[in-house]
Amino acid sequence: MTRAPDLHADVGEILLTEEQIATRVAELGRRISEDYAGRPVTLVSVLKGSLPFMADLMRAIDLPLRIDLMEVSSYGGGATESSGLVRILKDLSATIEREDVLIVEDIIDTGLTLNYLVRYLRGKNPATLRICTLLDKPARRLVEIPVDYIGFTIPDQFVVGYGLDYGELYRNLRFVGVLKPEVYAGPAEAEAAGV
Amino acid sequence: MDSSTPFAHASEAEMARILDFYAVRWSYEPETFPILWNLDGDVVESFSPDFYLPDLDLYLEMTTLRQKLVRKKNRKLRRLRELYPGINIKLFYERDFRALMLKYGKVALADGLSGTLGQVAAPYGDPAPTAAIRATDETDTPADADTDDIPAATVSTATTSAARRRNRRLARAAAGAP
Repeated sequence: MTRAPDLHADVGEILLTEEQIATRVAELGRRISEDYAGRPVTLVSVLKGSLPFMADLMRAIDLPLRIDLMEVSSYGGGATESSGLVRILKDLSATIEREDVLIVEDIIDTGLTLNYLVRYLRGKNPATLRICTLLDKPARRLVEIPVDYIGFTIPDQFVVGYGLDYGELYRNLRFVGVLKPEVYAGPAEAEAAGV
Repeated sequence: MDSSTPFAHASEAEMARILDFYAVRWSYEPETFPILWNLDGDVVESFSPDFYLPDLDLYLEMTTLRQKLVRKKNRKLRRLRELYPGINIKLFYERDFRALMLKYGKVALADGLSGTLGQVAAPYGDPAPTAAIRATDETDTPADADTDDIPAATVSTATTSAARRRNRRLARAAAGAP
């Protein structure tokens, strides 16, 4: 029988509290406001994981700004996989040509998605293209991409909450937590976790 | 991409699919680096990274052996970095591969693609043989083995073919060894 998820009980450890996230997002907002110094900026958020971060960050930035949303298919994402190529499921709704663009990401681990996105957006000729991520997991990096704004550098653990999901769940947690291995356990994880 | 690439390990085929998905160009085992010579100048040990990603100028070596068994691979990698400081190489461990599969919602697949079981090399275009493989316990033997060192008795046809190609490259490299 399928186990019903218990959002809070499934989290083994709270990595970042709601307060820590709020404080850091405010700091990032101030830095971005200073760096762009009154220039309008377009925030491009990548659905779905970065939605809470985007919502908080945009309100912490004291600049004239536009927002836009993109969604790209993920490897292993059902029907899209058969095409063998990443797909833009939702494209920008307005041009970014000659705009200052800031990509807002929830987490960067391998860098594969971001690498694809950066190449795609550069092709639209923005004036500048920078990257802001709430979480950076450098231990998993395959593609090195310079990141301009990093909220937190986190250890090599599977995290959920504040937009991050496992099986589309846990996004609504107000904190970032480490998912218990038994929630997603294959034999190796189960063995390591003693379950 | 070439669907006939004879991957030595199913995890490598999966990685190739991931790289293709994200439009990252790759070539499979394009180079062999000699890392140890005998007194006669013959190559006695070499290292063939699994992938080269030309756009990133990055070599990628995958090992899906359990963490405790990767000591030999780590030693070879250190030696490679000493001898060829200009090359950019990353070692992708079993835990990294599992994390990747978890990220993509394929954690069950990781069990079938890891370790010795994964040496049932799947053709690039075929899905990995998960169900049959998961029915058997993963074995940690041969200890310290990797796809560069796997004994011939345990390898599949594709792996043997890859080993033959490697041996030919070794012979060529030995001819030009210092």
